Amino acid sequence: MNKKAFIFGYEEQSAFVAKELERDGFRLYIVVDNKISYEKALKDDYKNVFHIDITDDDMIESLNIEGSDYLICMMRDNHLNVFLTLSLHELFPNTVIVAMSNSLHATRKLKMAGATKVIDTYQVSANRIHNIIQHPVSTKLIDSLLSTEDELSLREIKIPQESFLDKIMVEDFNFRPHKIILIGMIDRRLSDKFEFITRTEEKNRLDIGDTMVCLGYNSDLNNFEEYIRKRREERV
Amino acid sequence: MFIKSIVNFAYLLGNSSRYLSLKSFFRNILLNSDYKYKRYFDSFMIILIIISISILVYEVKIPVPYWVDFFDIYIVTTIFLIEYILRFWVYNDWHTTVIREFEESDFLGKPFILWKPTKEVLKGKIAYLLSPPALIDLLAILPVYRPIRVLRIFVLFRVFKLLRYTKSIHQFIDVLSTKRFELLTLLFLVFFLIGTAGIAIYVFEETHNDNINSLFDSIYWAFITISTVGYGDISPVTNEGRVISMLVTLSGIAMMSFLTSIIVSAFSEKLYQLKENRMIEEMNKRKKFMIIGGYGQMARVFLQTNRDMIPFEYVVLEIDKDRVNRARKDGFNVIQEDASSFEILKRFNHQYSKIIFLALTRSDINNIYMTLNAKDIFNNIEIISRAKDERMRKKLYLAGATHVLMPTMVSNRILVTAVTQPAMYKVIYALLTGDEKTPHLSELPIIINQKLMDKALVDVDFKSYKILLIGLESISEGRFIFNPSLDTTLQHGDVLLIMGQRVSLEHFKDIYSKPKSIRD
Repeated sequence: MNKKAFIFGYEEQSAFVAKELERDGFRLYIVVDNKISYEKALKDDYKNVFHIDITDDDMIESLNIEGSDYLICMMRDNHLNVFLTLSLHELFPNTVIVAMSNSLHATRKLKMAGATKVIDTYQVSANRIHNIIQHPVSTKLIDSLLSTEDELSLREIKIPQESFLDKIMVEDFNFRPHKIILIGMIDRRLSDKFEFITRTEEKNRLDIGDTMVCLGYNSDLNNFEEYIRKRREERV
Repeated sequence: MFIKSIVNFAYLLGNSSRYLSLKSFFRNILLNSDYKYKRYFDSFMIILIIISISILVYEVKIPVPYWVDFFDIYIVTTIFLIEYILRFWVYNDWHTTVIREFEESDFLGKPFILWKPTKEVLKGKIAYLLSPPALIDLLAILPVYRPIRVLRIFVLFRVFKLLRYTKSIHQFIDVLSTKRFELLTLLFLVFFLIGTAGIAIYVFEETHNDNINSLFDSIYWAFITISTVGYGDISPVTNEGRVISMLVTLSGIAMMSFLTSIIVSAFSEKLYQLKENRMIEEMNKRKKFMIIGGYGQMARVFLQTNRDMIPFEYVVLEIDKDRVNRARKDGFNVIQEDASSFEILKRFNHQYSKIIFLALTRSDINNIYMTLNAKDIFNNIEIISRAKDERMRKKLYLAGATHVLMPTMVSNRILVTAVTQPAMYKVIYALLTGDEKTPHLSELPIIINQKLMDKALVDVDFKSYKILLIGLESISEGRFIFNPSLDTTLQHGDVLLIMGQRVSLEHFKDIYSKPKSIRD
């Protein structure tokens, strides 16, 4: 079954996010607090569009949000966005809440209100300017990672069942022949959290179900994904 | 024939790059306050003047050794004389005026009259010779003629000559000149009071006071009293005289307060302008600096983020008073001017400095205008501009922007990544925000004599420092190579792109950025 995502607010930015998530196979629920956004979402062919009073907890509860759903807060008004985040965190404490912020003050408040991840538009851009000025080479790399057209990308690769990579220590596996770089991983043996390979103090081991984040050209990443599906005996 | 040779000579000068660059050099060093070597020249002249004045003052009573006199007469004065001649030379260009006049005559088919451009140039030169700074320069040369002792008073002009090289005195005079009307009114009032009081005391005291023998004595008394100095060499002896004395003292206090308030108000009104001028002058001395157009949310966050990391001088140009005050309160360098104004940008030096211009306002129209304006003035400027969407991005590139940011697009993409690929989101967010706890991307330029120079990548120990080699900006290939082959040898001009915790990166750079030792 597809994952569900609730997008609160439907403006220019949220329309882009909705489109991208739909393309990634998410079942979308658009929740808005005004008629213009409601009509705009309907016009964009979204089936599950709700026009409710965002400040009313009962109405939010009636949306039947489940623990595994993603809640995306993109209300235009910063105050309302913070209020909504707090309400959602209170009603569904274990749900992932991702919020968009358009001011430094709102970013801190959204974090305090319980957002799992806050994307601060200005902070991201400010850092990009610093990068452009001080690290022009890094900027090229980041630009190609952000661009959907460029071949170079980051990819999450889950170690599949029966893969020959199972129980192999990271330092014993050479990624170089596959022309990719392992940036970090979720090593479930150590923790459920993502850790950068440059940060881990303990030695990482690759196990079935672990997630690797690799950097490389799309074709090389595809080949690598194919390659690690092999069983140990097949590889031999 | 003669005129033809003169015109040919003018063209020869106009086409001689050696002549032009020589003249341009002297013009810059003498007149262009943005020229980086001018301050050295100014300092040299100031030292020379101080030495010269010291010699002239010292020898009033005590004879100085011959070599000191020789230094003052021949060295210092010769330098002053050369400077005087050079200033006269660079004041205007004879050859350009002759060429312009010749071409105009040729175009209109009328006979070329050499006297016309020559007269124009001479007129300019004479106007220069009669200007106060040039007169001071000339008079400052005169003390050299020792047989006429009275000429030594012209040593004062060497003191005045200092004005040429000290900006703060210039600024002081400029500020005072803004209150010219008030100061002249005050001066008139003071002279009126001195005159009236002087005449009054002369009338009342001339016959009773032994110290007042002429009108000059009484005017002198009034001047000393009104200035509140009061030497006491002349004092009133009659009751009438004492009353006048009291009134004059009271007026003197009022005049002094008035004078002080005029000067203070002139400075407080001009304070920000003075600061702004100084800011521009300071920036123009830098090899690289940044101009930020507008102090909106984006510029504010940019300046607040890693404010210690901004590697060079910057200035914000903002026209809105409230925003200017906010920027000042936030502690940033700001000038209250319109960033899209041609005049203000023109004041920045683009001949010797590399300029980065940030057009980060919310309005795409403003950003496009600022980009075009900056590009119009500075050819080799780097412009980072903000755009709302893809269409505006294209327009900004067309206008001449070097980089275009689309804040919402980037954050939207990150948000989508946060939902669809949460592990990868961490990487992207870390790369974009440079959080202290997360790894950073860093660049290590390879320079001659550095340990990494001529080293194969396989011989560089990235692993021990917990560093990932991401790529190489190769100078020989002229492109970025992702995950380069370990056989690659590093050359001067290459840039290594590495990733790691800040502490690892600093340690790695410390070790490998060092110069090669003999053992390496």
